[in-house]
Order: sequence, then structure tokens, then C-alpha cells
Amino acid sequence: MKNKSEYRDMWVFIQHDGKTVEPVSLELCCETRKLCDAAGEKLAAVIVGELSEAELDKVLDCGVDKLIRVSGTGYDYLNVDAYANLFTVLCRKYAPSAVMVGGTIFGRDFAPRFACRLPTGCTSDATELVYDANTGDIEFVEPAVGGKMMAVITVPVMRPQVGTIRPGTFKYAPTGKREWSVIEETVDFPVENIRTRILDFLQEETDESLNIADAEVIVCVGNGLKGADALPRYRALAEKLGGKLACSRPVFDRGLLPYKLVVGQSGVVVKPKVYLAFGVSGAINHVTGFTDSDLVIAVNSDPDAPIFNYCDYGLVGDMDEVCEMMLDRS
Amino acid sequence: MVNYNKLTPALAEELGGLLGEKRFQYGDAVKEAYSHDEMPIYGRFMPEAVCLVESTEEVSAIMKLCHENRIPVTVRGAGTGLVGGCVPIHGGIVLSTERMNKILSYDMNNLVVHTQPGVLLCDLAADALAHGLMYPPDPGEKTATVGGNVSTNAGGMRAVKYGVTRDYVLAMTVVLPNGEVMKLGKTVCKTSSGYSLLHLMIGSEGTLGIITELTLKLIPKPVMDVSLILPFQDIATAIASVPAIKLANLDPQSIEFMERDIVDSSAAYTGNAVFPTTVNGKSVGAYILVTLVGDSEAELTLKMDRLGQVAEQTGAYDVLVVWTDGLKKDVWAARSAFLTVIEAETRLLDEMDVVVPVDRIAEFLVYSHDVAEEYGVCLRSFGHAGDGNLHIYCCANDMDEAEFKGRVKAIMDKCYAKCTEFEGQVSGEHSIGHAKKAYLRESVGETAYGLMGAIKKAFDPDGILNPGKVCN
Amino acid sequence: MLNILVCVKQVPDVNLVKIDPVTGSLIRKGVPAILNPLDANALEAAVQMKEQYGGTVTCITMGPDQAEEALRECLAAGADKAVLLSDRAFANADTLATSYVIASAAKLLGKFDLIFCGKESLDGATGQMASQLAERFDASQLSCTEEILSLDEAKKTITARRELEKGVETAQAQLPCLLTVEKTNYHPRIPNLKSWKASRTAEILRYNSQTIPGLDPAQIGDPGSPTKVPRTYPPEAGSKGVMIDEGNLDKSVEKLAGLIREVL
Repeated sequence: MKNKSEYRDMWVFIQHDGKTVEPVSLELCCETRKLCDAAGEKLAAVIVGELSEAELDKVLDCGVDKLIRVSGTGYDYLNVDAYANLFTVLCRKYAPSAVMVGGTIFGRDFAPRFACRLPTGCTSDATELVYDANTGDIEFVEPAVGGKMMAVITVPVMRPQVGTIRPGTFKYAPTGKREWSVIEETVDFPVENIRTRILDFLQEETDESLNIADAEVIVCVGNGLKGADALPRYRALAEKLGGKLACSRPVFDRGLLPYKLVVGQSGVVVKPKVYLAFGVSGAINHVTGFTDSDLVIAVNSDPDAPIFNYCDYGLVGDMDEVCEMMLDRS
Repeated sequence: MVNYNKLTPALAEELGGLLGEKRFQYGDAVKEAYSHDEMPIYGRFMPEAVCLVESTEEVSAIMKLCHENRIPVTVRGAGTGLVGGCVPIHGGIVLSTERMNKILSYDMNNLVVHTQPGVLLCDLAADALAHGLMYPPDPGEKTATVGGNVSTNAGGMRAVKYGVTRDYVLAMTVVLPNGEVMKLGKTVCKTSSGYSLLHLMIGSEGTLGIITELTLKLIPKPVMDVSLILPFQDIATAIASVPAIKLANLDPQSIEFMERDIVDSSAAYTGNAVFPTTVNGKSVGAYILVTLVGDSEAELTLKMDRLGQVAEQTGAYDVLVVWTDGLKKDVWAARSAFLTVIEAETRLLDEMDVVVPVDRIAEFLVYSHDVAEEYGVCLRSFGHAGDGNLHIYCCANDMDEAEFKGRVKAIMDKCYAKCTEFEGQVSGEHSIGHAKKAYLRESVGETAYGLMGAIKKAFDPDGILNPGKVCN
Repeated sequence: MLNILVCVKQVPDVNLVKIDPVTGSLIRKGVPAILNPLDANALEAAVQMKEQYGGTVTCITMGPDQAEEALRECLAAGADKAVLLSDRAFANADTLATSYVIASAAKLLGKFDLIFCGKESLDGATGQMASQLAERFDASQLSCTEEILSLDEAKKTITARRELEKGVETAQAQLPCLLTVEKTNYHPRIPNLKSWKASRTAEILRYNSQTIPGLDPAQIGDPGSPTKVPRTYPPEAGSKGVMIDEGNLDKSVEKLAGLIREVL
């Protein structure tokens, strides 16, 4: 095995559907750019298949040094078999120091798999990435044990360091194009070896109320919620403020709201102008889901609730009562 | 009819001075929530002022003032009652104990806890468990205050094994209507010492005095427990199994019954369909939920075997074992959500909390459902099969309120009469308030009702405490 | 006849885990260990497959001796066999090392057509185990399965509906296939007295690092785990927000409403 210093360049997998690039891939390019600067390494974007100039531009705007453009058979639709094989082949050939993959369902399916095949270490859901110049390792910082702890995860010996990161964790803040080179690669994966077939895909009827990622106002209910009958007033308040209803993980666990409304590390990351948290205790894995909000207001009956440490303004009181009063005033 | 005085601005100022701005609501500042409990069908009555008291001394000072000025005082805990017990129907002051919410101390040698009355039942139960002890009374409404529980002699799910709240009150501090502070009871388990004023206070619904401190008996917490679900074809076969279960020498901690429709509603509401609706290919119509306690798995297994035999003999489809903590939590959460579910699904709601002999539960349920059908009102029920305490809810959504009240009155008149005929009680644990006074009178008879009135007069000659409730 | 494997984990009930305010370390004492909740959904899906198509459900876990309790819970809820992989040498394993041990032990139990596991664990919540187990078993993968629609034993395929970010996909995968399931359609069942009693005394197959033939010591436990946790720390408390208390709730809410109006 090579010495770990022989592994160079950090890669970002650009997930796209032929038309648009997944925002998370761009977010990761921007964040990994910073790591590369700190490490003195190059940033490479791995793009499989064709992509329009405009979309390619968005990728290059993140300060990419290299484009690895892949063609071949087996990539007509996203499938674990061909993509796990591809990254195994590419990593063995080019020996990158890190591979970052957006934590989409597909990303979380195939990244741990090629990491296992190489083999190397894989981390998931980091909320912060730090390059440690002493060790040359990336520190993947993430909430652990239900958000009660922060854990630093490293891959100190093996390479590449593989990480899947949730959409929205980092900002898409392009720093501008640099000079870039292009590597063309052809890796054929026999189509008959793909073990999954898509028989049908039903685009979800766009229930806009379930799309909270871009909401300007979020009314979030936490475990203090008494029950389903208490929900309508929060939905009403969200509507009145021109926003969306969301929840913390325990509310989903109780079966009161769908998973798509969960804000947090293992849910959706949101960046609204106003984030109103009702009855949310403030576990860190929830907090990481809204830190980029402009104004955070927390209402909780427990004056010692940790949420008050993560808000701009806090109010101690009965969540239902306060919500009703806000409805009267909105 | 006593004439009460209105709270004057001067008196209000005096009260405000006593409590400070934050703990005194007067006039427009009074919150609407203090005008009703969880059964708003019995009317909303705004108090003139709300006092959020924190100590016996404050209660005493307020009572002195109100006594001198003939201002009615209605004590309120968490406001979770169902018979208008804490609603100030003659106006005056609502004295809320919600801030008297401290558990004061444990006496581990005598197994008692000293507590303020505004502590929530769920908080006391959890805190006692953390001390390795159990507070046995377990009413469904966990966010009620213990003071409210004592004032209504609340029962709950575990009454079949441990008895009711009354059995766990050893002593209390009471403020009498004239402001005098009195201690009743001692931290001992026996007394043969005159009339028990303590027990008169228990279940008196704030009409005799104001409880400001409680000494409650605790027991060591059981080593282990298991809950079992017995699914049946219908409610009649389910209830018919209860005497056999009680005879099997299992000493169950609780025996609850539930009908399919409420289980379905609860599943939809909590999103957790924990009760199976089809068992061994058969559709379930009703369930019996039994909890057993024991010192070891071996002991529990023996008891479960015996229960299994009873289940087979009485036609249960199966015996399902709720063993893991996760399942217990889900099952009991579903059970505890029943009233909330009914409240959530119903616009107009009224209830009965009768107790009938265990072997007549099914008969009574059939009768009440028939009567309700006759009057076109939907009836939903669940309750404590082990002690015959039934919670029966009259529900309507698309009916005029006056029409609903009229029909419900007719239904209740008949049902309470049937209950009396069955040698039952008007209320098992929800009490009388002002909603059930007439039925109490009918049930106990004029002599007994008159004696109750005389007792009330002895404690509260001016009738300023919670006027219009129970028997005055 | 299907040979079905369900990989489960016993986890501390993290909701009850507290942090020592002085040392900042986790207080695990008195925190009950439970079967990972999503694993119970996976088991239910497996048992339903067995009931529909016939076969055997084997549960396997790696963990300390106490993890036996989680396996008994699986046996009560419909599993036929239970396997405990327990050895000090397995400790501190990450997903790579754990998947290696489980897959190595599973070889002793035959060839599996279907492998189920929970979507993620309550304590680790990395959600990587499924993919890495699929890799170790050389199986196809169907994650986020909302409902299994059919299984063709002759063609050796399974068809399922998956809930993805932007819609619902119907996918067909070749056996062997590893599935993770959503909980909506696979509520864990409550065992009946008969199966519960059987589960309490059932034999549990046990393996350790010595009794799994050919296990490479370099690939198990701490040495076999490429990811390390050099340190943990309590989350930054953040800066305390401005607490609004205008004397009464009414006025306080008014102030909040004003703050919101300013921003919008």
C-alpha cells in the first residue's frame, strides 16, 4: 500500500440527472475547495455523462482545478453497481486523498459500498470539515448519540477519505473559476451486470408544503407538541406568515408529521429568514439544521431548554398559548 | 342563595399587592382558559381575577380577604377536569395552584412524599420512580395536578390492584374558608381517632377547604411488569372474561377494556397502529388489556400461563405479550390518548363516568348504546374493566348545540337511572362539579344529600368556596 | 423457500442518555439497551416475506452478551433462528469491520436470498451498514423500501416500491438482495404468549473470533476499522438568546410579533 502522502487531490462526485446538478454537489465543491486550499491539494469534480455548458459553469465556478469526465456503458440511470465499480476503478488509478459525495439517497447507497470495496473508511453526515495540517487528515465533525455529543471522525491511515454530506449542510458560495484541466476517462460497466432495474417512477405530486428547504419562514414544532390535534394552529401560523410547517425528529418518530418535514442533521437543512421553534428542546442534531437562519425565535415552557442557547430571542411559555396569541397578531 | 360581592378595584389592588403583578390577573388580563375545564359544553364562566398562589400563607391571606368581603373562591389545578369542578360559575376569584408545583421531600423510612398540590401527576410519578418508589394511583390524565387528584379522589388504571387516591393520602395542610390553616392526618397508616376530616376533604372538590400541602404514601416499585392484550370478537365476550381473570389469582395491576373504533381512532391520531386489528385471521371487535407485576420473570411467566388458560376458556383470539419497554410505551400511549382522540374528533362532547358492578359492564354498555342510538347521538366508550368504571362519551359534530344538549340530557337521564338500578355510582373518578349534581342527588337520596349540605355548611358557613358545586 | 437474514443491533436508548455536566462524558449507566427501533421494522418485513413465500428468518447481531435480549425480542416477533457474534476482539468496530464479521459468520449459516437491516441505528445513525453489508454479501440493494410488491422465485427477482427524494420508484432487483425498509408499512408485531415463551428459552447460536473460520484478525475490531474517533466534546452551548419577558405573556408575544414583522 502507498504511503498516505502519495494520495493527492480531493474529489467531489457531481450528481446530476442529465439536466441539472444536485445543489449538494455544488455545495460540496465549495466546501472542499477550502480544504484543498488548506492542504495544498487540487479539487477535482467527477462528472459522469453529458452536462450542459451552463451547469458545467456552475461546477467550475466553485474553483475546480480538474474535471474528470467519465463516459462508458452502465450509467444511463443512477445505479449502485456501475457507480460503485466506477469509483473503485478511478480511485485505484488516480489515488485521490478524499472523495466527497452528496448525502442523497443514491449517494448514501453507493459511497459506503465502494469504500468497502477499496477498502477504506467512510463517514457520513458531517456538519463541519476541518483539515488538520499536522496529520494531513480531514476531521469530519458530526453530532453523535442523538445530538448529545460532537464526535470528530478521522481516517488516519487509509485513503481516500470518503464522506457523504447531507444536502444543505454547506453553502453554495462560488469563489470563481480557476484554470482547470480535463481528464477524459472511459469505464465500461456491462449493462447486464446491473442488478437493479427501474420499472416505474412516479414524480411526487408536488406537495409544496413538504418542500421546506427553501421556505422563507419556518414554524417548527418539537416534542413538546401535545398531539395531532394541536397541529392545525401551527400550520395556520405558518401559512399566515407565508411559511411552512416543519418539525424536529421526535415528532416524526411519534408519527405526527412526515419525514420530509424533519429539520436537522438526519433531515432537511433549512435557511429561512425566520425560524420559529415551538416546544423544541434543542438537541444539536436538530440545531445543525437551522443554524443559517436569519432570525431564530424559540418558545418553550422549560426555561432551561437548550434551544434557548441557539436562538436570537427566547420566550418561556406554553407553546399552544403563545401560538394562539401569535395567530391573533399575525 | 347567598349573595356574593363583586371584587372591587380596591380589593383587587390589595390582592395584586399580595402576589405581585406577574401572579395576579384582573379584569381584561384574565386568561380565557380559566373560564372552563376540558368539558366546555357545561359553559364558560370568566373569573373576576386569577391568583397564582405559591404558598400556604398566601392562600390564607387571600381567604381572609375574601371571607371578610364575601368573594367566592374557586380552586383550580391544571384545569383538566370534566365536570366543571374548577369553573367559577358564581364569578369571584380563581385560585390557581399551578405554581405550587414543588415536590418538597421524601421520607424513605416511612415511604411518603411531601408535595405541593400543583405538582403534575406525571412529574410525581416519574420522580417517585427515580427514587425507586411508586405512586400507585394512575388516572389517565397525567397532566392533572395531584391536588386535583385528591380533590376528586381520582382512580385510574391501577385502582383494581392498589385502590384509589384516597388510599394514598396520609396527611394534608388545609386552608379553611376563613383563612385559618389546619393540618389533617399524620404520617402513619392507621387511625381510629374520631371523624376523619382528612377523608372528608378527599373528593370534596374544593368546596370545604383549600389543600396547600400533601403527604402521600408510596410503595416500593414492582420489580417487573408485563402487559397483555387479549383480543375478542366483541365487547360482550371481552367483558365476560373479566370475572374469570379476577378469579385466576393474578392480582393484576390493571384490567382495561377498549373497543375497536377507539383503537382505530387512536392509531390514526398517534400514527402508531400498535394494537393489531386482525388476529389469527379474525377481525377484532374489542380488547382487554391486563398488566401483571411480579418479582421475577418466572413468576410472571406462571401468571401469564394462567391468564393464557383463562383467555382460551373465555374465547380470546390470542394472548399478546407486551414485554419490551418500547412496546409498553406504545401500547399505553395509545391507551392514554383515548380521551384526547375523542376530543380531537368531536365538536360537541359530553361524558358519563359511571361505575357499575363488573359483571354488568357489558349490559350497561349495550343499554347506553341503544339509548344513544334512539336519540341519534354517537357514543364512544372505554374504561376500567377491572373495577367497572366506564367512560362513556356522547359525541356529535353536525348538530346544533342546544339540540345536542337536549338529546344528551335525555340519554343521561336514562343511563344514570339505569346505573342507579344496577347499584352503581354516578362518578368513579371525574366527580360531580356542577354538571352532575342532579344525578348525585337522585342517586344518593334526599337524606344523604342533605347531610352533605350540612357538612358543607359546617366547613364553609358563608358558602364562598367553589359555590354551586357538588351539593350546594 | 427463502433464506432470509436480518441484521440487528442493540443500542442504548439515546433519548435517555445524559451528559455529565462536569466531565462532559456520556452517562450510560442505567440507560436501557433496546433493539434498534428501525431494525424491528426490518424484521417485520422479513417475517412477512417468510409468511408469504415460506422459508426461514435468521437474526444476527454483533455485540456483548447482553445483546442476547435483543435477539430474543426478534425470536418472539417471528424470527426462527438467532445468532450472536460476541468477542472482545470485535469491540470498537466501525461499519467496515462490523460488516466483515457479520458477513463472515453468515457464510456458516448458508446462502441468503434476502438480507434486511434497519435504515440506520439510533446511536450511530451513520446509515452505512446497509450498503457495506450489501457489498460484503455481494448483493443488490434496495434502500428506503416503502413496500415489497412481489418476489419471483423462479427468476430470482424482488420488486419493491421505494420512497425517494422526488418521487416513488418501483424497482426490481436480483436476488440476493439487501433491503432497508421505511416504517410506515412494517409495524413490528406484538408476539403472542406461545412465541414469546419459546423465545425466552430458545437456543442462541454463538460465535466468536475463534469459531468463525478464516477470520482475518486485521480486519476485525479496532485494527480492522479505518475510521477513528480521536475525540468527542459536548456541543457548543451557543450564545444564549435574548429572553423576552415583558411582564406578561401578552406583551411578550406582542414584542415577538414585532420582531418578526421587522424581518419579513
